[in-house]
Amino acid sequence: MSAIEARSLTKRFGDFVADDAVSFAVEPGETYGLLGPNGAGKTTLIRMLTTLLPPSSGEANVKGHDVVREQAAVRASIGTVSQAVTTDENLTVRENLSVQGKMYGLWGRALSERIDWRLDQVGLRDRRDQVVRHLSGGMRRRLEIARGVLHSPSVLFLDEPTTGLDPQSRRAIWDMLGEMKKTDAELAVVLTTHAMDEADYLSDRVAIMDRGRLLCEDSPEALKRGLATGERVEVETERAITEEDRGAIAGLGAVNWRQPAPVVAQFEARPGEGVGRRAAELLEKQGYRVLHLTIAPVTLEDVFFAYTGRALRES
Amino acid sequence: MTQPPRPARPARGLFLAVLGMVAICQRATVTLWRQPVLLISTMLFPVVYLLVLGNALNRQLSGIPLAVVDEAHNALSAECLRGAMALASGRSLVDVEIVADRDEALERLRRGRFRGVWVLPLNLARQGPAPAFIGDNTDRFSYEAVETALRDVWNEASMPEGAPSAAEAVKLEAYPYLDYLTYLGPAVVCLAIFMGSMVSGGLQVIEDRMFGYHEGYLVTPITTGALVTGHIVAGAMVAALAGAVVLAAILAITPVGVAGGGAVAPALVTIALTALAIASVWFLLFARARQASVLRGMFGIINALLFFPSGALYPVESYPPWLRAISRVDPLTYGLSALRDVLLRGAGASACYAPWVFLLTFTLVCGVLTTVLFRREV
Repeated sequence: MSAIEARSLTKRFGDFVADDAVSFAVEPGETYGLLGPNGAGKTTLIRMLTTLLPPSSGEANVKGHDVVREQAAVRASIGTVSQAVTTDENLTVRENLSVQGKMYGLWGRALSERIDWRLDQVGLRDRRDQVVRHLSGGMRRRLEIARGVLHSPSVLFLDEPTTGLDPQSRRAIWDMLGEMKKTDAELAVVLTTHAMDEADYLSDRVAIMDRGRLLCEDSPEALKRGLATGERVEVETERAITEEDRGAIAGLGAVNWRQPAPVVAQFEARPGEGVGRRAAELLEKQGYRVLHLTIAPVTLEDVFFAYTGRALRES
Repeated sequence: MTQPPRPARPARGLFLAVLGMVAICQRATVTLWRQPVLLISTMLFPVVYLLVLGNALNRQLSGIPLAVVDEAHNALSAECLRGAMALASGRSLVDVEIVADRDEALERLRRGRFRGVWVLPLNLARQGPAPAFIGDNTDRFSYEAVETALRDVWNEASMPEGAPSAAEAVKLEAYPYLDYLTYLGPAVVCLAIFMGSMVSGGLQVIEDRMFGYHEGYLVTPITTGALVTGHIVAGAMVAALAGAVVLAAILAITPVGVAGGGAVAPALVTIALTALAIASVWFLLFARARQASVLRGMFGIINALLFFPSGALYPVESYPPWLRAISRVDPLTYGLSALRDVLLRGAGASACYAPWVFLLTFTLVCGVLTTVLFRREV
């Protein structure tokens, strides 16, 4: 049974369509990244799946439970880490988890053991009696994650888990989520983010969303390899490259040429086919001495661009 | 501990609901405990209110500046003068200045120097001409007090010599003497409940919604009914605590005629039930509100609609019908009347049964309405 199955899930607010017939499935143990700019419909989608918004049409199951008809069962099997800060800053780390655990029917020793275990996992055990107000942003986010998984849900919804954090804190959260996958092997994670590196690093599969539609979904590698262009190559030689040799390189599959200088060849190529390396070999065979060879890997940003015609950060 | 603990078997059904309510109350209490300023101000405000209102309102008037113009200079005017002087020296109602010229006295009245001018005209006599009182009627309280006192002085002075005075009417007080401060006591307890429920109930709910904490509750398996009940009970707990502390303060500073320790238990039950009713009003009002500005806007109106019609400051019986209609459904009316019965009149718990039933029913109706109106969506 899939952890999540959404079929033509649609949400309209008046004339505005926030999510337009979105269909996807997430398997247990899988991390599914929803990548898209702000306003793409990611948060609305998550709200429908977490019973906070009723869909306008379409349907969705979480752990086999319908999100409209079996809300209580859905709520019992999910954990959420929302963009909003949902920990009470006047409570200590432990008190926050204690309140949350009771909401899920945990109590007594079982609850205390679980709190300690999760605090260990997120590295906050020694801060358990600290009032949340005094925690750093990164620690607070880790507490939110501990709160989301406290009751060992089947599905964890992570809405922009590292937005606004410094690089070290982001990295710490990524590592922590990776570790958590080991203890919660069946945990399906739905991650929304507009940070392509985050989606790339954490997700087993990524879906790109824009303007309420799901444009494509696959593993980050497959998405990148599926592009016709995107791998950026720059070769610099000690003398001007002739038109004939440029033509030979183009024959390898190089497109979107730019020529900032006669000694430089700049082009894009289909990822994963070694066009950059083969171009350098071709030039050396022709007697050029290659001074620099730069091959910039394709990013999900390129994938987003290819599907929407816009850069993610422009959106 | 790096090993996962044994899988928990979470509570379901009613036990889950109770756990959820306990969690909400736990959070409300801890939050308040960590913000003592909030707690103290909640309790301080009503006590300050009691002290200021109790001392500012319904005080014996005194020192009202009065000019007396004696144009008659006869025996009767001398008698009147003596009477006026007695008002000044006895209960200090007025501060008398004898002014020779009527125009000068009136001029000084207009300039605010005097609140009244008492003219004893030429040829003052029992049959007339009688004294004239020209008073500053912008201040109704002083005007009426001085006018009444001077009329009494004139009546006494102009009484024919040897005439028998009327028999004194019998006047008895059914309960031990109460000053206004003491009379206000129960009202101030109600005010503390009102403030406490606003801070912990109304404000908390809206803040939770604004900051997203509510979302954390809404995605958990707790039922809407348990969520609403938990919030009402949590709000009421803080409100009742505020009410009980203020009650203790009042018992300490005013000579409330408590009929022994027997009054404390029914008073506390009344406080708890009133707190539940008021907390349920707040939660009903904010079942759908999302902005703190709504609360700020509503506070004045709710205060006016719940506190004043309850008879806290003035007897309900004297209200016009529309205001009496409000007071009939106002839970504070019932809480207040029960508190007055047990604290001031020394009535037993049985006097409170009817108000208790009303307060409980009121809470139940509000709770059910809130559960129906409450939206789990964000």
